[in-house]
Amino acid sequence: MKFIPLILRHLRRNWMRTASTVIAMTVCIFLFCTLQTFLKAVNWNLQSASSSRLVVRHRVSMVFNVPVSYKARIQSIPGVETVVASNWFGGIFRDMRNFFPNMAVEPEPYLAMYPEFILPDDQKKAWFADRRGCIIGRRTAERFHFKVGDTIAMDSFIPPYRIGHPWEFRIDGIYDTDPVRYPGTDLTMMYFNWDYLYETLHAIRPNSSYTAVGNYMVKISDPNKAGQVSKAIDDLFENSDVQTRTETESAFRAGFLAMIGNLALLLNSIAIAVMFTILLVVANTMSMAVRERRKEIAVLKTLGFSSALVMSLILGEAMAIGLMGGGFGILLGHWMIQALPNLPFLGDAVRGFPELGLTLPTAAIGMGTALALSLAAGIIPAWLAYRARITEMLRQI
Amino acid sequence: MATGQVAQTGTRIAVDVQQVRKIYQRDAQQITVLDGIDLRVPEGEFLALMGPSGSGKTTLLNLIAGIDRPTAGRVVIDGTDISTLGEGALARWRSRNVGFIFQFYNLIPVLTAIGNVELPLLLTKLSAKQRRDRAMTALRVVGLEDRAHHYPRQLSGGQEQRVAIARAIVTDPKIIVADEPTGDLDHKSAEEILELVVTLNREFHKTIVMVTHDPRAARHAHTERHLEKGVLESNGAQAGAK
Repeated sequence: MKFIPLILRHLRRNWMRTASTVIAMTVCIFLFCTLQTFLKAVNWNLQSASSSRLVVRHRVSMVFNVPVSYKARIQSIPGVETVVASNWFGGIFRDMRNFFPNMAVEPEPYLAMYPEFILPDDQKKAWFADRRGCIIGRRTAERFHFKVGDTIAMDSFIPPYRIGHPWEFRIDGIYDTDPVRYPGTDLTMMYFNWDYLYETLHAIRPNSSYTAVGNYMVKISDPNKAGQVSKAIDDLFENSDVQTRTETESAFRAGFLAMIGNLALLLNSIAIAVMFTILLVVANTMSMAVRERRKEIAVLKTLGFSSALVMSLILGEAMAIGLMGGGFGILLGHWMIQALPNLPFLGDAVRGFPELGLTLPTAAIGMGTALALSLAAGIIPAWLAYRARITEMLRQI
Repeated sequence: MATGQVAQTGTRIAVDVQQVRKIYQRDAQQITVLDGIDLRVPEGEFLALMGPSGSGKTTLLNLIAGIDRPTAGRVVIDGTDISTLGEGALARWRSRNVGFIFQFYNLIPVLTAIGNVELPLLLTKLSAKQRRDRAMTALRVVGLEDRAHHYPRQLSGGQEQRVAIARAIVTDPKIIVADEPTGDLDHKSAEEILELVVTLNREFHKTIVMVTHDPRAARHAHTERHLEKGVLESNGAQAGAK
């Protein structure tokens, strides 16, 4: 403890250099924390995927639809319990900044397939009976102060779903979840009646390939047979005009994210590149600090400071830089992650991740990384100071 | 008084250098800097080591201060053979037993005068207040208590050397080694510093070994010994002994 003022004094010696290094470390840890939080939010979303649910989609791309007629044929395959049609709607409530994910689904079988959505019975019944009805997750309802019974109007950004006027939906229910039993359940979604979408489009463009099903959600009786059932479904449509690709729900979600590339690899590569750069920056700072202080190191050793103590003081300086940079980086990351959903452009990209927030473990890993980086950067200059002989250092002056 | 006379009175030997050799290896060449040095300095002595540049006087001083090791022979300081001590033990020994005064002061520029003086005390178990008090006492001895909170850049050369002397005596070591302590000072400042060193010897009974090639500085010592090409002249000459 009594050496801390000495360490801080040395850091203040060239405050511009110290400040630059601390800022570099701050940016590094800020990026690390933000990217890791983003990845965590993505992974959190995958947690809620069930191994007993499959997703059937167009083999070429999920932007193409599959025929309505496939439902009965999928239902006939052994091992399949329920088949539910669903379409990604891409509806926007007033403004892009208000985006929340929304899908058309078949209400009753869908809720049966997703026990994680908890809804009072009267709201369930109201939705099942309401062609224009919808249910909304608690988070979105709170965000926009939606109440049961409200009517909302939305336009879709998907061209085939633009019909010249807004789609109107009545809120029949607000769903919750049990976060302990069903971690990762998204409470920002809106689900509306698939019949409403299909019938409206069919009335306008009956022969359009978009007047069809986006994908089928399939509940299977035995999760261990997911591969077998998936193959059976795809084999069934092998010789059809529209071939399918069937995969587990988690694989489907991961694939959805993979559309923008291997996100984890990309983000981790960025983080590693930044860290390596910072390692060099801090190492350079420490090397310069030690090189210009050779005389003082010799004096300290002459006064009786052991080589190990001198080494510790230099490592202490490096770690103080890491501690400051890590602390500021975590604070900046925390602030930025809070602010991110409200930023233009970037906000739209992250708003779909409801659990976006800097967690204590991520912050701890960030701080650990900062300290490890600074320790690694300081170890060689510290070792050189440890080994340097007093007489040689004094002679070089 | 001469070294021999002191020894005859039974005074304890503070510095006992026995058959010391120091050889530096430079590429394939071996350079003998000290060759069979024998030197005994009684407790309370003020010895001036003189000689031309390259004669080995700073090397001998470094061996006595425990910041270098002999190639052969023994260096016994106040009964401890420091040539056998390990790196850590030698550092501890230096912190307790030797005060070092450099030619160029070598103060830490980011620390104030009192901060510099307090440095050796960081290695002790004293409390912060005790350290401060002792450092202030040392500054008072060298007459710089009013400059305690000045940084080295705010002090003159003579004042910097006084701070360095305060740093050398703050742990109350028995031996003080000084390497050309007046080499970087003007005549007036040099005289003041030498007076201070004499005071440390006379009033605080410190054993002092000072390297200098300035005969005026050497006259303040009790004894002068001359080194020539790594060999110590056989007899010490009695100096001015103020």
